[in-house]
Amino acid sequence: MMKFAPLIWKNLGRNKLRSVITGIAIAFAVAMVCVLRMLPAALDGMLDSMSAGTRISVHNKAGLTYSLPYAYVNKVRAMHGVVDVATYQWFGGVVDEDKGVQFPNFAVDSDHVAVVFEDWKIDAKALEDFENYRDGALVGTMTMKQQGWKIGDLITLKSTIVPVEAKLRIVGEIERGPFVWFSREYLEQAMLAQGLSFDTTGTLWVRIDDASQVNPLMARIDETFRNSEAETSSETEKAFFSNMMSSAQGYVTILLIVAGVVTLCIVFIAANTASMSVRERVGELAIMKALGFRWRTLFTTLVVEAALLSTVAGAVGVLLSIGATNALRAITAGSASAGPMNAFFVSNAVLVQTLFVAFFIGIVSGAFPAFGASRKSVAQTLREVF
Amino acid sequence: MIEISNVSRFYTRGADEVHALDGVSLSIPKGSFVALMGPSGSGKSTLLNILAGLDRPSSGSATVAGQRLDALDEDELAAFRAAHVGFVFQFFNLIPVLSAVENVELPLLLTRLSRADRRERALTALRVVGLTERANHKPRELSGGEQQRVAIARAFVSDPELIVADEPTGDLDAKNAEATLELLRTLRRDFGKTVVMVTHDPRAEKYVDVVHHLDKGVLLESRPGGSAQP
Repeated sequence: MMKFAPLIWKNLGRNKLRSVITGIAIAFAVAMVCVLRMLPAALDGMLDSMSAGTRISVHNKAGLTYSLPYAYVNKVRAMHGVVDVATYQWFGGVVDEDKGVQFPNFAVDSDHVAVVFEDWKIDAKALEDFENYRDGALVGTMTMKQQGWKIGDLITLKSTIVPVEAKLRIVGEIERGPFVWFSREYLEQAMLAQGLSFDTTGTLWVRIDDASQVNPLMARIDETFRNSEAETSSETEKAFFSNMMSSAQGYVTILLIVAGVVTLCIVFIAANTASMSVRERVGELAIMKALGFRWRTLFTTLVVEAALLSTVAGAVGVLLSIGATNALRAITAGSASAGPMNAFFVSNAVLVQTLFVAFFIGIVSGAFPAFGASRKSVAQTLREVF
Repeated sequence: MIEISNVSRFYTRGADEVHALDGVSLSIPKGSFVALMGPSGSGKSTLLNILAGLDRPSSGSATVAGQRLDALDEDELAAFRAAHVGFVFQFFNLIPVLSAVENVELPLLLTRLSRADRRERALTALRVVGLTERANHKPRELSGGEQQRVAIARAFVSDPELIVADEPTGDLDAKNAEATLELLRTLRRDFGKTVVMVTHDPRAEKYVDVVHHLDKGVLLESRPGGSAQP
């Protein structure tokens, strides 16, 4: 077959513009497929980066909107293996009632978050101020930017679920996420001022000392509160965020379907190109058969030609995807707000699979027109064409 | 060299059966230059296709270079053509993306010759037809006469016993037509090739040994041409 290589190469350059355009179409589609195929892994990577292996979320078994008795906190803190517990109470505060809730905001145990979220690397001075000032608030960098806030600013959050208007002072930033934290003590006193009791909480975030003990400890917590007034459901931090992002995973499924459809479209584009290329060469193929070329030889050269174009374009597409994801990671490096973008990495497995798909596309797209043309009777073709 | 015995060829065209050849018998000795003449639809191209191994008779037998072509399958016919037959067509039918020398080299891709040997033989064939200087030109850069000479070089480069030519002068001016006929006669005379040519061109008669006249699929007459040996 090697001696036919120059012939195959020259035929590829027969209509350079068409070959290049087809190649570009395949390359871009392959690059897109590569990136989309990595979206689930990127989301997983993002969840990994967001989550700690030693943190557990405990919430009401009935759902996140149901509360837990605040008394559970000390019971969990007392369990063997638990380092500390911090509670999260959804506040649903808005800056502008017309715009609704623009960022998640919680009343938290300001004297425990430093330990429970130790890995978030929140500035020590900010944490100290947060603990010392009852009206202190820690605000996510993303929210700071969106709202145009800076440290020291006074902000007012009006709750959409309790009759409280929290007047807070920003004492520091949280690099991760868009959250706004303020002191649970502030909320308790504000509620008391309204004549309301506040002895529940939403979620318990539990920091444990040994990641290998996550599952037994989760089982122990849930077992402790079984048959109580509020049964608990414990899950790892990653599982918690994964559930929170289940709608995003639905989008991922849609994107993967799109990737499949795109692949199918490429097959048709490549098949059309191969078909056109073969159709305009029917006479030449008949001449070559007259000269003694067997149909299998011609069929093989035509298929190799299509596969070569598709595979080379696929390789270019793969390189494009590597370049694009490298650029994306470089641009979003260190930005916690970049979401899955800074976790995009095209794996070797996906590269190989996609290259194989590109090769397969070439084979399939070349095979059908090549089979028809190479099996045609020489005498009949010569009569029809010349 | 060629023995055609009671060959008929029928085609089905829609509901009709077309009798392209009807009981033709013909003998062509080795090393002769033969013209098949007759009006359009007389069956001369069909006869040429059969004796070149491009088509098979519906009945009768065709023996060429000692092989019964009517008994060969497609692959065997392809192998037969590669080994024994060179082709010259009316419209030259060179591969446009290949240079003159690459076009001539094409049949040699089916041999076991090395790349260097293939190139050397192709250049030799081009020298025989007087186109050494045009070896690296693409067909579109050559005149009609030059393209036909490249096609003739391609026809004999693999040293086949039989060269078939279908209207080789049909698309050429008078000067190039004469040059082409002379070249075909040279192949017969200097290289001992058997040349069978389908033509309408009356000038061809003086170059060939025998003229076979066909009409409506029947061989009407065979008479000596201008190059007939006394």
